[in-house]
Formats: sequence, C-alpha cells, structure tokens
Amino acid sequence: MKKIKKSDLNKLLSQWQQKYSVFAPSNHGVVKMTAWDGKDTTFLDWYRNTVVPPKNNFLPGMEKMFDIKKDAGYKLEVTADDTKQLIFGVRPCDARALALIDVNFKDGYEDTYYLNRRKNGLLVGLGCTSPCASCFCTSLNIHPAESQDVDVMFNDIGEELLIAEVTDKGKELLAASSGLSDATAADEAKAKEAKEATFKKVTRKINTGEIKERLMPSFENEEYWKNVAAKCVSCGICTFLCPTCYCFDINDEQSKGEAARFRNWDCCSFAVYTKMPMENPREEKWRRVRQKVNHKYNFFPMIYEQIACTGCGRCIRQCPVNWDITQVLSTLPEKAKA
Amino acid sequence: MVVRDISQRKRFLNSGNVYLPHIAVIEKIIEETPTIRTFHFNIKDDKVREQFTFESGQFAEYSVFGVGEAPFCISSSPTRKDHLEVAFQKVGRVTNAMNRLAVGDEIGFRGPYGNTFPMDYLKGKNLVFVAGGIGMAPLRSLIWNVIDNRAKYEKVTIIYGARSPDLLCFKYDLTDWQKDSSLNTVVTVDRGTPDWKGNVGFVPAVLEKTAPSANNTVAVVCGPPIMIRFTFPVLDKLGFKPEQMITTLEKRMKCGIGKCGRCNIGDVFVCRDGPVFSYAEIKGLASSEY
Ligand code: SF4
Ligand code: SF4
Ligand code: FES
Repeated sequence: MKKIKKSDLNKLLSQWQQKYSVFAPSNHGVVKMTAWDGKDTTFLDWYRNTVVPPKNNFLPGMEKMFDIKKDAGYKLEVTADDTKQLIFGVRPCDARALALIDVNFKDGYEDTYYLNRRKNGLLVGLGCTSPCASCFCTSLNIHPAESQDVDVMFNDIGEELLIAEVTDKGKELLAASSGLSDATAADEAKAKEAKEATFKKVTRKINTGEIKERLMPSFENEEYWKNVAAKCVSCGICTFLCPTCYCFDINDEQSKGEAARFRNWDCCSFAVYTKMPMENPREEKWRRVRQKVNHKYNFFPMIYEQIACTGCGRCIRQCPVNWDITQVLSTLPEKAKA
Repeated sequence: MVVRDISQRKRFLNSGNVYLPHIAVIEKIIEETPTIRTFHFNIKDDKVREQFTFESGQFAEYSVFGVGEAPFCISSSPTRKDHLEVAFQKVGRVTNAMNRLAVGDEIGFRGPYGNTFPMDYLKGKNLVFVAGGIGMAPLRSLIWNVIDNRAKYEKVTIIYGARSPDLLCFKYDLTDWQKDSSLNTVVTVDRGTPDWKGNVGFVPAVLEKTAPSANNTVAVVCGPPIMIRFTFPVLDKLGFKPEQMITTLEKRMKCGIGKCGRCNIGDVFVCRDGPVFSYAEIKGLASSEY
C-alpha cells in the first residue's frame, strides 16, 4: 500500500490531469463532481458526499445520441464521447451504485453510450469519515470506508491519505504515478481503526432480510401505499439524485433544419412516464411511489439478486417534504414477520 | 446473477450502437380506416435488408426523424419477404407525424425486439384467433405465417371485429381469408350499417356463439384491453385453460430493449420479456398494473 501527504494531493491530481479529465467534488453551486481546477483540494475538509451523484459523469442528465443530417436521404452521425474521466473522491455507496447501473446497461443489449464512458473512466474512491444521519449504507452491505467497486481507494489517516489499488486499472494508475511513499504497518493499523470508527457512525438501519418476501404481500394494499405516498409531491428529486436510478427518456429535437436525438433522465414519479395515448397504468401517485420502492427493493432483486439501493441517503436529505424510504420500509404492513 | 436469456432471440443486426436506427423507405401506404394506416417499407441498406430476420409477434421502434420514436409490432409475416409492414393509429405526436409521410419518405427502424408467438407450441394445434380493431396487426403476422405453413396446424378459426364496418382493418386480408376454405373466418361489427351484410355483435359474444372446442386448441387474443378483459372469461367458459390463452400486452416504451425502465409489470419488462404472454403468465404478474 502507498500513501501521500494531504498537502501533496494537488500534485498527484495534477499529474493525473496530464492524462485524464480529472473530476473532484466542488461546492461552487450544487455539490457535484466537477472538472478539477488544477489546485483546490479543500474538499478534503468539507466533503461528505455530493448532492449530484457521480452517475452524472457516465449517464449524463442529458446527452446527444446522434445528429440527424439530411441531404438526399437521412444520415445519422454519432459522436462518441471518449473522454478519459478520472473521478476523485467517489464514496463507496456511489461506486456500488455504478456497479448496479452497469448490470442494467450490460444485460441483454449493451448500451454503448454508458459502457463506453465506464470503460474510459477511472474511479478513485475516498472512504467516508463523517457519514450523514440519513446514510444507511451498512444495511445494504456497503462499508462506508471500503470499496471493491473503485479502481483505487483512498483513506484518511490524519495528515496523510492511505492508497490501495483495487483493480488492474488502478494498479497501472499508481504504477505510473510519482510522489507516493510506501505505507507502514502503523499506517495500515491507523486506517483500520479509522474505518471501524466510521462504520459505527452509520446509525440509521433498515432490515433488508427477506425484503422481497415482505414487500410482495403488501403490493395490492392500496390503503397502505396511498398513505405512504400522501405527502410526495412527485417532484422527481429523489430519482434524479439517486445514484442507482437509471431510467431515461429518448426525444428528438429540431430547429432550423438541424435535428438530433437526445436522451435524458426520466423518473417513475412522473405520471407521463407510463402514459399511453388511451390509458396509463400509473396515473395515480400511489402506484408510482409503490413502483419506486418495489423496483429498488423487490423487482430489481427478483431479476438480478441485488437490491438497487445503496443507502446513500440522498433521497432522504434532498426530499422537499421529508419522504423517507427507510421509514417506509420499516413500517411495511407485514412488519410483524420481520 | 440471473440474466434472462435472450441470446436465442432474433436480434437487431447493428450490434454496435443498439439505439441507432436503420434507414427504411416507405414503398406503399394503405388507408385502413380514417385513422389507421399501413406502411409497406424496406430497409435501405442492401446488406442489412438481406440479413434482416424476425418472427411473428416481435416489434420494432419506428422513427420520424426530428419528431421521435414509437414502438409497433411488425404486422407482416416472416414468411413473406418482399417487404415489411407496420400498421399504426394516429393518436400521438409520432403517429401524427407518421401520418403525414408519403411513399418514398424515409423512416428509422430498429428491431426486431421482444419475444415471439410460441410457434413450436402452436404446431399441431387447433388455433383460434380473436382480434379487435388494430389488434389484428400483431395477429395478422401470425395468421399469414400459419396460412403459409398450413399443414403444420389443425383447424383455424379467425374472429375479428371492429366498432363499425369502416373501422375494420386489413379488409383485403379478410376477403382472402373468407374465401379460403381451410379457415373459418368470422367478421363482426358492434354496429352495422344499412349495406353491412355480415355479423353484428361484440367480439366476445361472437366468440361464444362460434364456440370453438378447447380440445387441443390455443386461442390468441389481441385487441383493446377492454375486449381482452371480456374475452378471457368467455374462453374460460369454453373450457380453455390459462396456458391455452395467449395475448400481447401494450405499454409505453422508449428503448424497446429493457433499459429505460418504463414498461415493467412487476419484474417483467414487456419490451424485453414480452410482448407475448399467456394468460397463465399474466395472472402471476403484479396484476393491478397490466
Ligand atoms: S423527492 Fe420526495 S416529493 Fe419528490 S418525488 Fe421523491 S419522495 Fe416525492
Ligand atoms: S433510494 Fe435513496 S438511499 Fe437508496 S440509493 Fe437511491 S437515493 Fe440513495
Ligand atoms: S421500453 Fe425501455 S425498458 Fe421497456
């Protein structure tokens, strides 16, 4: 294992910037992974997690799929985004979230837009030290300071950052980096202690045991879901900011002879999401809220044997009306069986 | 990890970017009803056109470039390779734009997507096709397929209805089928007109009167949800088991390949796992959403 002084992090990021488009947390505006400015590493002091998850770097809120050109006939032109992104400071929950999105975009048909960015991207993780009260990652088998879903993992050990390679890609990155020193056994012991302390700070818990089985019997319980959905205003914030939500819409735009096809994030909280000309299976809000919870905790696990939530807590922190998924899950009508 | 095996399916040929449509050219337009049209079309690229294959029941995403994409089943039969056909009803933005297209215009086409009618399961069986309105579009692919392989199947009954005579689609097919003595084709309308000589009555009622035997029979039902909802109980009364009733489901779709999220009923994605389902399968789904 390697290490680096926190005060030298900017030198390391600068090195990486020679070869990669480096992104790091920034709080100019909403907190998100932003193109690094070449010097600022003060995020080490204030950063807990981003508001906009790093999925935005791989599945952007809006992207052009192709230009639609017309002369004699139509010609479609794709401009591949081959940017080599290096995202620094990815939290373990968000790294896992990308691994979950990978599953959807790899299964059956490969989604080249997303997978191409993933292939060209490097994730450098940074273990948490001060989880939020809304975080419940540990209930989803995620350690707030450890990750196998990144390429390289950084952990805070006081004045220095401990650096561990996780994937081959990460190994190559470190091998090509200068200015790192070897970590000692004492450093590793310090890191271990810090990780354990962080783990204990995640106090919000949910019971995920047999969650599919507990959700299923309540599916047709209209009264329960109406109650759960009552205060939701269908704003979509919880979806757009969720690191595992990947639903999208496809739309054409044209003006003055120029046309292109775009895709953008979509959201199951919106009634139009499932609207057909003659009918809409989820016209009513409670059906949409039910879909949201069930997709993450019931349907996705039915297909892929993994829960599609990482307990990052964003949907709890950012909801304008304090809707709380952990509360929903802990008040299931079948709770007695829990 | 469990991944639904779709490897045996007829797949989109362009394996690179699955969202990139082929350019296709409209060769003929048929006015089926005041709001429904059929396009005969062909993929423009010679190589792609020659390699293209699909099976009855599969659908595709059609683009009017600059306006958008919409999913429709391929309404022609894979046994007839001269061109492809799609029937659509003018109801939304994309279909209105499709309605403005002319012969020679180009559309986008990506597919085939979804599962297919269970051809092996249908082999050697009596078949009852029940359709209403534009619901004949997916069935017609199967019916032509069956007619072109007539020896593989036993008795074939076709029951087709629309609200009024002018709303019957594929009238040219109906005429052919009624002439074909190997088929029992019953056409009905909810409300007749003075010059209508055929049956008058709702599809489920006409089905009940026709009373095909359930013995070694499969019924394939396509049409508006309300018709399907009234048809299943009639089939049940006639002795059909849920596995003997097949239908296609409709949902709002965008990607067509199980990625964009919106077409699910519980853990089933209609675009990828459907659109063809038996009533036995549907009954097991998160029922209030189909
Ligand atoms: S953020 Fe809150 S109010 Fe908005 S859609 Fe989600 S649960 Fe509903
Ligand atoms: S559902 Fe909420 S807690 Fe779970 S991953 Fe999404 S935003 Fe985070
Ligand atoms: S249409 Fe996109 S998931 Fe089915």
